[in-house]
Amino acid sequence: MIATPLTDELLLETLRQVIDPELGVNIVDLGLVYSVSSAAGRLRVAMTLTTPGCPMHDSIAEGVKNILLALDGVAGVEVEVVWDPPWHPSMMTEAGRAMTGVRKY
Amino acid sequence: MAAMSPIFNAVESKPAARKAVLPAAAPNLAGIRPASVRLPLCFVLAGVLSLLIGVAFLLAQPDLLAMYHYTPHLIALTHLFVLGFICSIVMGAMYQLVPVTLETQLYSERLVQWQFAAHVAGFTGMVWAFWNLNPALVGAFGSLLALGIGLFVFNLARTLAKVKGWNAIKFGIGSALFWLASAVAAGLVLAASKFWSFNPFQPLAAMHAHAHLGVAGVFVMMIVTVSYKLVPMFTLSELQSERRAWWSVALLNFGLLGAFVTILLQSPLKPASALVMIGGLALYGWEIKAILRARNRGSLDWGMKYFLTAITLLVPVSIAALALSWPRLPLTPFTMQLENVYGLLALTGLVGLAILGMLYKIAPFLVWFHSYSRHIGRAKVAVLADMYSVPLQIAGYWSFLAGLAVLCAAAAFSHEQGIRWGVSLLALSLAIFAINLGKILSHFVRPKIEPFSPKKPCPAANL
Repeated sequence: MIATPLTDELLLETLRQVIDPELGVNIVDLGLVYSVSSAAGRLRVAMTLTTPGCPMHDSIAEGVKNILLALDGVAGVEVEVVWDPPWHPSMMTEAGRAMTGVRKY
Repeated sequence: MAAMSPIFNAVESKPAARKAVLPAAAPNLAGIRPASVRLPLCFVLAGVLSLLIGVAFLLAQPDLLAMYHYTPHLIALTHLFVLGFICSIVMGAMYQLVPVTLETQLYSERLVQWQFAAHVAGFTGMVWAFWNLNPALVGAFGSLLALGIGLFVFNLARTLAKVKGWNAIKFGIGSALFWLASAVAAGLVLAASKFWSFNPFQPLAAMHAHAHLGVAGVFVMMIVTVSYKLVPMFTLSELQSERRAWWSVALLNFGLLGAFVTILLQSPLKPASALVMIGGLALYGWEIKAILRARNRGSLDWGMKYFLTAITLLVPVSIAALALSWPRLPLTPFTMQLENVYGLLALTGLVGLAILGMLYKIAPFLVWFHSYSRHIGRAKVAVLADMYSVPLQIAGYWSFLAGLAVLCAAAAFSHEQGIRWGVSLLALSLAIFAINLGKILSHFVRPKIEPFSPKKPCPAANL
């Protein structure tokens, strides 16, 4: 079996399967994923949440870890939830805005 | 990869090779161990059950609201509503939400179990003792309830103490805990005064002072405080003025202190205290309006609509409070019934509707957290809005408001048949809520977890 390379598009599509249960929208279209870096099969994700103290904090971050660990070629995942820069609706994709009913930007 | 992920622009997906799914474990990423949801859920269920029993009693005896409220049976039902329904749900919600909103861990989960036992035994015994006009047992069960509330206040105070610094939310929660302890202490003194026949104050004035400590000090304060966190969270907005939030909580505290003293002493300065509290509520309303104007989420869900409608009822409640505090208000059967309407608007309308609205947020979250949080990223799980029926939620909203309007009008004119109609509409609304709660709880028993479907290539949008 040939392992699928860990391309950005693969990581992005994989992370799209993690849904914010309150808003019902995936974390990529919500603009919560700031960056993903890869080195020797170990991934490091910098992400945020829509609000500090979000009750889903641990669940969503753990979900990111789980789904990336399920990819072939991933030996470890470190998820860092950051607040700088703070999340803002302007970071959402068009699809995300449409799904959440965000009316600006 | 750079920050803000510019490389994620316009990419296409490929099917991913997957490893075997790892065993699920409870999330614990931020170093904060999440509290168990079972006990908060027990509090919520005890609250909903108390509400249903209370409404059944009112349906059977609508005359209770057609007469002045200083009767053992109505006092018993009021305590069932306040302690059984409102306090149970507020406590369950706070055990779950205070740690997450303040980003810390609950001081002790073991104390929660003891408090639940003391709370349920205490309030059910108290309601029975009030109904049967037994002051000794009111005091005994009240002491048990006080022990439970003492554990609750201690647990949350120690949790608050772990958070460094002060903000308006911590100030408000701390104030509500203080007023809760004060309301319980005042209630115990009232029970003792009945048993040992001492009372330096007019009994009705003492009861009204005790009631204001509980309703305004605990419930209104809690609604104001949690709004500053939850309304921005659910509408994708931000607190607009920390200073305004601080002042609203501070004025509520000053006004309530004055209200307690002036009601107790039957002082002509009651309207002044009411005005200070109304000033605090006006600042609160101003801040909520500013938060909503700055929101990014266009349409509000029905849970938020319940909550926002409830806090709009602060306007008629404030007007009624000011009118009833007026020293020259003539004492007639109609003005005495207005006190019932004031209590109904505050407890059933403002607090009851706000709680139902928040339950549509809290109950799905608690069940989701228990059933799905460890599966996120491993399988397709339900989102919160999938867990109940929105059309039923809308029907519940309108039947509640219709019931409240009919009930208040009928209570004002002591119209028993009207009261029965109003309570019936409220019961319909609660039955609808119970169906939705059953739908939510079905996810607790049988979680709907599906494997991820094979991915199809699709263009990714810009981040």
